[in-house]
Amino acid sequence: MKNRKPMTLRQKLNTESVAGVICTMPFIIGFLMFMVVPMGISLYYSFCNYDILSAPVWTGIDNYVKMFTDDPKFWKSIGVTFYFALVSVPLRLIFALIVAMILVKSSKASAFYRAVYYLPSIIGGSVAVAILWKRMFAADGVINKILAVFGFPADFSWLGSTKTAIWTLIILAIWQFGSSMLIFLSALKQIPSELYEASDVDGANKFKKFFKITLPLLTPTIFFNLVMQMINGFLAFTQCFIITQGKPLDSTLFYTVYTYFQSFKFYNTGYGAALAWVMLLLIGLITLILFATKRFWVYDEGN
Amino acid sequence: MKRKLIVLLLTAAMVASMAACGGNEDGGKKETSKSSEETSNKLTFSWWGNQVRNERTSQILDMYSEKNPGVTFDGQFSEWSDYWNKLATASAGHTLPDIVQMDLQYYDQYVKNDLLLDLTPYIEDGTLNLEDADESILEAAKIDGKTYAVCNGVNAPALLYNKTELEKAGIEVKDGMTMDEFVELSKEIQEKTGLRTNIGYHHETLPEYWLRAKDLAFFGQGKLGVNSAQDLQTIFDLEEQAVKEGWHVDPSVFTEITIGSAEQDPMIYGSSAGSMSWCMFAYSNQLAAVQEAAPEGVEIGITTWPTDDLEKSNYLKPSQFFAVTSDCKNPEEAVKVLDYITNSVECNEVLLGERGVPISKSVADVITPKLDETNQKIITYVNDVVTPTCSTISPVAPKGASEVFDLLKNLEEQVLYGQITAKEAAVRLFEEGNVFIASGQE
Repeated sequence: MKNRKPMTLRQKLNTESVAGVICTMPFIIGFLMFMVVPMGISLYYSFCNYDILSAPVWTGIDNYVKMFTDDPKFWKSIGVTFYFALVSVPLRLIFALIVAMILVKSSKASAFYRAVYYLPSIIGGSVAVAILWKRMFAADGVINKILAVFGFPADFSWLGSTKTAIWTLIILAIWQFGSSMLIFLSALKQIPSELYEASDVDGANKFKKFFKITLPLLTPTIFFNLVMQMINGFLAFTQCFIITQGKPLDSTLFYTVYTYFQSFKFYNTGYGAALAWVMLLLIGLITLILFATKRFWVYDEGN
Repeated sequence: MKRKLIVLLLTAAMVASMAACGGNEDGGKKETSKSSEETSNKLTFSWWGNQVRNERTSQILDMYSEKNPGVTFDGQFSEWSDYWNKLATASAGHTLPDIVQMDLQYYDQYVKNDLLLDLTPYIEDGTLNLEDADESILEAAKIDGKTYAVCNGVNAPALLYNKTELEKAGIEVKDGMTMDEFVELSKEIQEKTGLRTNIGYHHETLPEYWLRAKDLAFFGQGKLGVNSAQDLQTIFDLEEQAVKEGWHVDPSVFTEITIGSAEQDPMIYGSSAGSMSWCMFAYSNQLAAVQEAAPEGVEIGITTWPTDDLEKSNYLKPSQFFAVTSDCKNPEEAVKVLDYITNSVECNEVLLGERGVPISKSVADVITPKLDETNQKIITYVNDVVTPTCSTISPVAPKGASEVFDLLKNLEEQVLYGQITAKEAAVRLFEEGNVFIASGQE
């Protein structure tokens, strides 16, 4: 019997796993260098008193203790962020679904409209649109000018009132419904038409069809959109940072913006890192909860 | 066979690219060692500011390079808040620019962390000549008797106002208003012109200004410089009164503008009738930018901030410092640049006091006649109004100050919106502010 020969380098390089590793190297290196290492460092900083300028000083869990016991702005920003995400995400999904339902009927123009309605998703997160938004909702902005035409008082400051400021951000978020809409569109097209035909025979009306066929079959897509948009909602930054800066009276202070302020305005970078980690855990928790509820309402074709 | 080939090719490509990287590195190193003298004469120079400043500063750097062959500059500029982020990150990586523009708000932190070069020996041996500058100005930049930065311009607190509009109504503003006079004037102005008042919301140094009149300081050792919340109440009281009596600008305007931008200040731009102010709490050098931003035909006046004791309250503010960082490889050359900026007439003929009145008296004398009307007005204000009646500026802000200022603005906002009373605001500023400063000292 011959013993197995030790492989030559050439042979080693030839095996599939080595080739795989080599081919994924660019990603692995990038992932390690730009994700894992910085995350590790930020985890370390979150246990330190660190202001960028001087060396970090280990303080244990002080940052976390302070956050939960002695920082009203932390709770305020959590509240604002939850409010924003829990209001804007469902509204955005409803809106996306409505538009998708309208656009699913193929006609020559629908491709054009699909592109048009997708546009806000691309540009909506930009600084330019944020500035435009700020001007639109100013006391002398176009929104008030339009309202004035209908006889409403024309100098209400939408951004200056604690009740309405957050809504300008929510509306901006709803407006960016394009990517959810596209996903809904493709899902709608996959619903077998036999089901509708059968229900026609049974004499179901449009509402019945929507609630008994369309909606149940869409639940996997809704679930996917909900998870993705929820995560996005909690991470929203640009709109708040550019448009309101948390004003007025911290009524629009997003968690991410507060984290930024702590890290780069007050230079409590250690504390900022701790805030970021708490957000990571929070989003993880929410995603978990969503997945836990999945079996109660998401239609699963397998069963 | 095909797969083999691909794997081989890829591996080869990777090895080659790695080798290429290595080669570059080696080459780079060789190059630096060869021309180390040349490269170290390239200085990075960074500042924050506006378009005018960027152009003028780049121009003087070019002029310096022309006069000193071999010295070249890499000028980097950014907006105020980005600037400090960049600088902080650079300090962590020990890649600070050689020469940086510095502000008193951050000065202390940078010095305490050994990030700035001690200029004292260079001043003593004459490389950096500061003999022509006022002693009280130099004093402000000293920490434990050592100088780490040199001031490029002197400013003073200044109340800018819409002179044209007030003259139409027959109202004249005099220098050295008391608090009561300011309140009366504001009311009168609203009656006659409809313009309201912006009592320096967001202006960090106002409380300090009024505390100085009572021989108190805003910041003390490891705590706020006051003994009771009562002392901090002045600004909140004023704002509360103004809101109640209806002569304060509608606070919602502050959510619509970029605060600190001359073009968008409520004195220049108002989005509704209730959001136009007749005045703006500012610093003297801002007059140029504000006048520039004002509508045509509107003249902006300049006077002192109201206070009950002008001499105690008012001060000259050395601003816009330049410092050499500890990462600088060629401090000698960098200090020479600072000397050039401070003492060269030719250089200041380009800068034209954009950062403030030059600290060297002889330089200031030469350039004053060359300035336009607005800038002459600034110099007259600083020299004739402020300099005779002022006292030394308060010590630099300690660590934790930016959080205290943020708290102050937050509380002001709540008072303006009628959410809390002036008294509650003062108590919170006193209690929470003390905690911020104390934890900054740890």
